[in-house]
Amino acid sequence: MRLHKKSTAMDSLTSAIKSNIIPNQEYLLQGSVFDSAVEVLLHRLRGLCDNVDSGPETFHDHEMCFSMRSSVQPMLLRVRRALDYQEMPWQLRYIGQNELGDKSRPTIVRNSIDIGTSSTIVEFLTELGCRMDFEYIVRGYMFRKGRMKITVSKIFKMGQGKPLESVEPMSQSYLVELSVLAPSGQDAIAEDMRSFAEQLRPLVQLEKLDYKRLQHVA
Amino acid sequence: MAFSVNISIEAPIENQIQEITYDGQEIYQNPLSMSESLAKLAQKIDFSKATVEDIKKENGEQPEKGEEDPLLKDPVNYQSSLWPWDTVRNKLRSALTEVCVLADVLSIAKEKRFMVLDPVQQEPVETKPIVQVYARKKALFGAASVLLNGAERLRNTQNEMTRNRSTPDFHIELLRLRQNWRLKKVSNSIIGDLSYRTAGSKYAQTGMFEVTKAEDEPPSSGSPPPSPGAGASAKPSSALRVTVPSELQGVGYIEVLCQKDQEDLCSATINTLGPSPTTANPDVHWQQKLEAAQNVLFCKELFNQLAKEAVQLQAPIPHMVVGNQILATFLPGIQLIIGLCHSAVSDKKPVAAPPQKSEHDHVLEHSLHQLLREVHHKNTHHPFPHPSSGPIGPSKRRCLAGPMAADRYELLEMTKSQTLLEQIIQQAQHFFMRRRTEYVLDTMAKEVKDPLIVSHWNALNSPMQSCVKINIMTHGYDAILRTSLVVQVGEKSLKCVCRDGRVMHMSYEPQELRDLIFCQIYQHQINAVHCLAKCMGWQFLSNSSHLGLGAVEPLGNASSCIFASPIGDRILCWAAAYMCWPELVLQEADATAPRAVPRCLMLSHAAKADSTPGQLRGRPAKSKLAEHHQRQFWYIRLDVMERKNIMNSVCLLMSYLTCGSVLS
Repeated sequence: MRLHKKSTAMDSLTSAIKSNIIPNQEYLLQGSVFDSAVEVLLHRLRGLCDNVDSGPETFHDHEMCFSMRSSVQPMLLRVRRALDYQEMPWQLRYIGQNELGDKSRPTIVRNSIDIGTSSTIVEFLTELGCRMDFEYIVRGYMFRKGRMKITVSKIFKMGQGKPLESVEPMSQSYLVELSVLAPSGQDAIAEDMRSFAEQLRPLVQLEKLDYKRLQHVA
Repeated sequence: MAFSVNISIEAPIENQIQEITYDGQEIYQNPLSMSESLAKLAQKIDFSKATVEDIKKENGEQPEKGEEDPLLKDPVNYQSSLWPWDTVRNKLRSALTEVCVLADVLSIAKEKRFMVLDPVQQEPVETKPIVQVYARKKALFGAASVLLNGAERLRNTQNEMTRNRSTPDFHIELLRLRQNWRLKKVSNSIIGDLSYRTAGSKYAQTGMFEVTKAEDEPPSSGSPPPSPGAGASAKPSSALRVTVPSELQGVGYIEVLCQKDQEDLCSATINTLGPSPTTANPDVHWQQKLEAAQNVLFCKELFNQLAKEAVQLQAPIPHMVVGNQILATFLPGIQLIIGLCHSAVSDKKPVAAPPQKSEHDHVLEHSLHQLLREVHHKNTHHPFPHPSSGPIGPSKRRCLAGPMAADRYELLEMTKSQTLLEQIIQQAQHFFMRRRTEYVLDTMAKEVKDPLIVSHWNALNSPMQSCVKINIMTHGYDAILRTSLVVQVGEKSLKCVCRDGRVMHMSYEPQELRDLIFCQIYQHQINAVHCLAKCMGWQFLSNSSHLGLGAVEPLGNASSCIFASPIGDRILCWAAAYMCWPELVLQEADATAPRAVPRCLMLSHAAKADSTPGQLRGRPAKSKLAEHHQRQFWYIRLDVMERKNIMNSVCLLMSYLTCGSVLS
């Protein structure tokens, strides 16, 4: 009886993977605005996105990036927790490299796996051999339009001492991200994202960034 | 083919013709050379003239003279051609003379010996104020008249516009329409959407309507106009007309009825189009029309959803969907009927009001609307992920299921949710239970007068639960004892909590509640007599809650208590059973002592045995005891006593017996 149950669980898992319903791709567009222009952008997003009646949802997160330098290519893992909702589970996230598709693709497409964990994940990763590369605090607003998620956030450097107290902003601007988590193969959503980005065009330019160029700059 | 044409440009002849010879040859005057033209210009300067205007005036006159001057002066110049600047020199000289004279005068005046300069009193300009006033008045009149004319003209145009514009401007109306409804332009026409799509509805039927300009059309040849001129001059009340799809026209609503089983289940009268409050009026304002159409769409979606669920759900008694009605049996013999009533505009024949056996329940209809709106709300308002990098969609419980290791059963339970039909059936069940409980309590309160039954319903309650507090008290003796209990009305059951902590669960049968209340009444009587005896000073001797003597009771058991008078010469025994008159038995210690209680009220044991065999509660053991102890006991006829209630009679009796013993 127990064996029978175990096989059905595995069966359902494999069938889920095969039938392509697990959202493991992230489609992403990014941009930024200065602090002085963020109010206008928030106003516009509030009008364009769903649920105008409830105000924009705020979030206050703490993210830590771990890397495991075992093989040639270090594996990067991100652990994120919500500081304003302490009872919600932590998120462990693996983000893959950008898919090198044709240049005409409107958005960045990359592999992304999100897993809910308890707060013991940090200890677990440390035991596995990961080291924490850096951490930061993000604070901002979240919007939603259909399947798309738009975040307008400010990144804060963590000061020495208590993590919540001494935080200073890293820059005088806000990071704007438009992302969708979808199973692989649903490229039509990228078009919708692009047309939505067009609507925000004069206020913020959302485009796909070339990370390789950024690395060279750094 | 393009030819290039040479164009020559020549200046016209400028030079004056001096002489035309006889052979037609023109001799031109030579143009003035540079020095000659300079000399000519210099002659024009008159150094005695100071102001520019004079020079201009001079220049205005000079060109006429200048034409003749060179001609006139030409002979002079020609004569004195050696010195063309002669006039200039003369003019300069005269100017110099004047300036010298002026300098001399100034120096002499400065010395103040021969000439003194004194200011001359200027005569004040005589300006009569009245003249000024008149001048100002005239000027103001002029300005005012201009302004008034302008205002008058504006007012006239405004009045004309409002008079002629009994139909407001199409664009203003369109603006108002746009403020309330979503519109978009598709090629040449304006299409609007009145569905609940953006509010979270997933209903397939579209709610598109078209907006057109309302033209002054002559009335169609359907019905002749009442008067020949009226039809043609009738103007539409608004400049735009909205065309709503035919299946959404008219007025619709969902009718909810709770009623007992009918013999004829196909009560088609309810199925007909109910009387609509607003008759088919083509001139109804577009706002009302659109709102009515939206309501019809909402009702259709609601009914569609309920019908789907009715077919899918498996209830003990299956639900039936007949045409525009859903019949659901939620209690044996009780049906919930949900019907979609839609009165379309095209319905010409007058609709008779269907005979409503029970009235349409507005509260349940409102609940249905609320439930569907809640479904819409859940469709749009998904919870946001915290932290923000998570996926949108899973609820908080679902997010926690992973880390907290929820098992399969928990996950399956999470996916289950109640359908609309189940929820409304629950609400209807509770509603029915509440009504039934109210009915039972009210009828009992009317029937039973001796202890009073007072029920207080909670003002705040939920759609699934209500609460009522019942107080049983005897009039006049409520300070002595009050029995209270709380009944919580659920969907299919009742829960009763007594003061002493007992909890009893009852089903939906009304008889159970009746029985419970009667039991409580009878217990109340016993306890009240007990408390009364304490108050009166009678000694409580014994009691028995469950007497195993006598005939078997239909419900419950008989109970009794025995009291002794303060001095102990009399004993009173109270015996009661459910739904029976209590019996009071009096025993006197001294049979020969004068009786305190009048004879008419007393009935000996033997007499009672003859008279009312039905009510006889034979106590052979006691009578034997009585015989042995030479004591006589008497039944008290409470029904004959004049009193307000039983407590009162017991109280009076006790007081008689006490006084009697005191007096005697």
